[in-house]
Amino acid sequence: MLERFLSLFRIDTGKRERNQGTTVFWIIAGTASALLLMGWLLPWFVNDYSAGVGYSAQDALVSSPTGIGTFCIYIMAVAMIMLVVSPIAEAIARARGRAFGKRADRIRFIAALVGLALTAVVWFLVSVIQEEPLFGSFTAGTYTDSAVWLTMYGFAMAALAYGARDWVVARQSVAFGVAALPFGIFLPLMFHQAPDFLLWAAGSLAIYMLLALGLNVVVGFAGLLDLGYAAFFAIGGYACASFASPIHNIHLPLWVLIFLGAAVASMFGAVLGAPTLRLRGDYLAIVTLGFGEIIPDLATNNVFNLTGGANGISGIDQPHYGALDFSTSPRWYYWSLLIVSILVIIFLRNIERSRVGRAWVALREDEVAAAATGINTTTTKLLAFAIGASVSGLAGAFYGSIVSIVSPDDFSFSVSIAVLSIVVLGGIGNIVGVILGSFILTFVIFWVLPNMNEWTTTLSTTVHVPALAGIDFSSYTFIIYGLALIAMMLLRPGGLLPSRARRIELESGEESESLAAVQGVA
Amino acid sequence: MTIQSGTPEAPLAPLGDTSSGVGSPMLVDQRSLAPRRDQSNELVRSVGPVVRVAYGWISKHFAAVLLGMILVAIIATFKQGGLDLMGQQLRNALVLGAIYALVAIGYTMVYGIIELINFAHGDVFAAAGFYAVFIASTFHLDSLATGSFGGLILALIIVFPLSMLGAGITGVVIEFVAYRRLRDSPRLAPLITAIGVSFLIEGIMLVIEGPDNVATNQADWITGTAFTIGGVSVAWTDIFVVGMALFLMFALGEFVRRTRLGKAMRSTAQDRTAALLCGININRTISATFFIGSALAAAAAVIYSINYGDLKWNLGFHLGIIAFTAAVLGGIGNIVGAGVGGFIIGLIYVFGGSIFGGEWSESLIFAVLVLILTFRPVGLFGVEVTTRA
Repeated sequence: MLERFLSLFRIDTGKRERNQGTTVFWIIAGTASALLLMGWLLPWFVNDYSAGVGYSAQDALVSSPTGIGTFCIYIMAVAMIMLVVSPIAEAIARARGRAFGKRADRIRFIAALVGLALTAVVWFLVSVIQEEPLFGSFTAGTYTDSAVWLTMYGFAMAALAYGARDWVVARQSVAFGVAALPFGIFLPLMFHQAPDFLLWAAGSLAIYMLLALGLNVVVGFAGLLDLGYAAFFAIGGYACASFASPIHNIHLPLWVLIFLGAAVASMFGAVLGAPTLRLRGDYLAIVTLGFGEIIPDLATNNVFNLTGGANGISGIDQPHYGALDFSTSPRWYYWSLLIVSILVIIFLRNIERSRVGRAWVALREDEVAAAATGINTTTTKLLAFAIGASVSGLAGAFYGSIVSIVSPDDFSFSVSIAVLSIVVLGGIGNIVGVILGSFILTFVIFWVLPNMNEWTTTLSTTVHVPALAGIDFSSYTFIIYGLALIAMMLLRPGGLLPSRARRIELESGEESESLAAVQGVA
Repeated sequence: MTIQSGTPEAPLAPLGDTSSGVGSPMLVDQRSLAPRRDQSNELVRSVGPVVRVAYGWISKHFAAVLLGMILVAIIATFKQGGLDLMGQQLRNALVLGAIYALVAIGYTMVYGIIELINFAHGDVFAAAGFYAVFIASTFHLDSLATGSFGGLILALIIVFPLSMLGAGITGVVIEFVAYRRLRDSPRLAPLITAIGVSFLIEGIMLVIEGPDNVATNQADWITGTAFTIGGVSVAWTDIFVVGMALFLMFALGEFVRRTRLGKAMRSTAQDRTAALLCGININRTISATFFIGSALAAAAAVIYSINYGDLKWNLGFHLGIIAFTAAVLGGIGNIVGAGVGGFIIGLIYVFGGSIFGGEWSESLIFAVLVLILTFRPVGLFGVEVTTRA
């Protein structure tokens, strides 16, 4: 039994049929351009933190015209401009039906490698041997390496995109992993000077990625619409809060709570699913919606004095294992979440390809036919529900530990919708797509929008438009979710990265698909 | 006029009801809602024969069980606060039920005709409330309505049709932009789009109206106590709310029963392809359904703001789910059922609240929804009703 369970975490290295699509290529090339621009404009060297006076590579180019470092930066600038401009040129050329040759790829590949090498040289000159007066006086300043990391990563991604384009196009998912995984691993190092960003990465990106992966099992694999997914998240969160806080004076370690949260949530998933799974999908949607409202209601009304009422439970333990003190930096949470996410991804990928996964697909496509082939529809659906809920409970336990306080507001309906939007945006049923979707949506909703208020306030004083400062961008969250859901369903129902089954359906233009679905690809 | 449904006896009859020989009388074909006999049996069998008997009994006598529980709640309220409290709560329940009933009709009509849970319906309701406030302030209706009785009538005659028109157009636009192209796509797609539309409308209202309660002046429109029975004072507003709701429901019933468009709606709901073959303009019929449903929601919204005097950007979300529960309770697709369901849900909401405490009312409604879907997914009038709404 245990062996069978463990086998679900085995990494399968066998070759499979190849994905054909250029979406991932464009994502990698576009991200490379964005990172290069960010690396170019962000400060490499800060003279005065409080005033935010810093020098970027761009400033160095303008201010200090001598030395080998400046020469390197000149060439870097050329490479960067080439890599930022050429994808746009290529997109335009392809849109007009012109070919963009292999030679251009080779030139860009070399440019990327040269840029990578020169960034390393400048870094070495400036920070290690402190030779170059590139960024003004050294004594007053602090070196920031985020921009350097971003520049190097941008060049490396460009090298991957243009040097191995055929491979990227043929093995989309693997290429996405190769491009994204190092970024994921090194993120806390790259942004160690920005704890807010790390907190975003752990508390929003990683948590929502786990949630979306779990919901993807229910919505994507099994085709059941769950609109109360935040309820399982809440159950996980409150399980963590109850057993690792002063409220009941129980202090269990986090790794136990993860399993506890997952187990309790999956139990609730099965209990909730049992009466409703034999109804049609839209009834399940409304019942889960109701359930998603009941759970925060129970918590608000402080049922059996367990949940602390509207204020929630605070003072949740932060793990402390010897030198590993989770309370000091979000990075430990981030890395644990990364490991857990990778395990969850491997688990879900294997289960998708297992007997159960095939049963889900069969159920999703045609329930009557699936039942006729001997699939036990009730238990199969319940399994999808329970597995999806368990991932959510796990994420909830982590969430409670990270933010150290859980309250009913954290698990409102908008959380369920955020997760659903991620799944729909990324690609229903496609794990890689869901990961991509969680990157995009959590970045926009939980990083850009909250910071936007500050940015526009600064901007309004600079350009003297006071109206800008008055806009509260966080209130646009709902509009973004709504538009994302509508636009994806109408224009590209498979999501940014459609799952393989979905793509085949779309390409063959099956009758069951809507006209809009076919048009979305054409 | 009664049209017997041409569909053969449902092969997948609801559990515990072996006598579903009557043709499906509602807008929607009830077969699709019934639980699959094989699976439910299997599920129930695994729990044991006692449970199976209990399940069968409850699902057969669901209406009696529910009404019995409501009766117990009413009696408990009587014990608690005497006739005064009971009477007041009954009045509250009727007023609330009238609003739920009007909103529920929109859900039931749309579900009946295109089998879509129109999540945006509750938000159309809330938006219509804001339309009414806008109309009232544009035409300076507030001073007019509070001035004299004739002025009040004039204000009502202006604000009702205009906000109903506005909401109706909103509903038609939503259908045209978001749902029409997905009519034949997999079930998940329109459902997700509906959620998206709901969030979009809520988001727009949040940006325009702000995150707090918005007080409206319409609470002052109708004032005064009409009469007092045994310590329970019935305000003119209450009479207006319930009377208006009943009038609109009656008008809708007559419309669906007697007009050509109503007939087209019924036949489209029954079998879209066959209706198309008979020369019915399906698109126009569905648009009309959305128009009428949204217009009724708008009427409910105006009534709501006259009665309660404030609106909020996310008002439609919870109210929508509660109204949907009412629609399911009455048997979705069944217009009369939705009306009755609305009043029953109003009773459950108010008397449940007076027993368990008001903070539990919504949870109670959701629990009732789960119970209905578990025991009697076809609704209270799922099988017995023989005349078409």
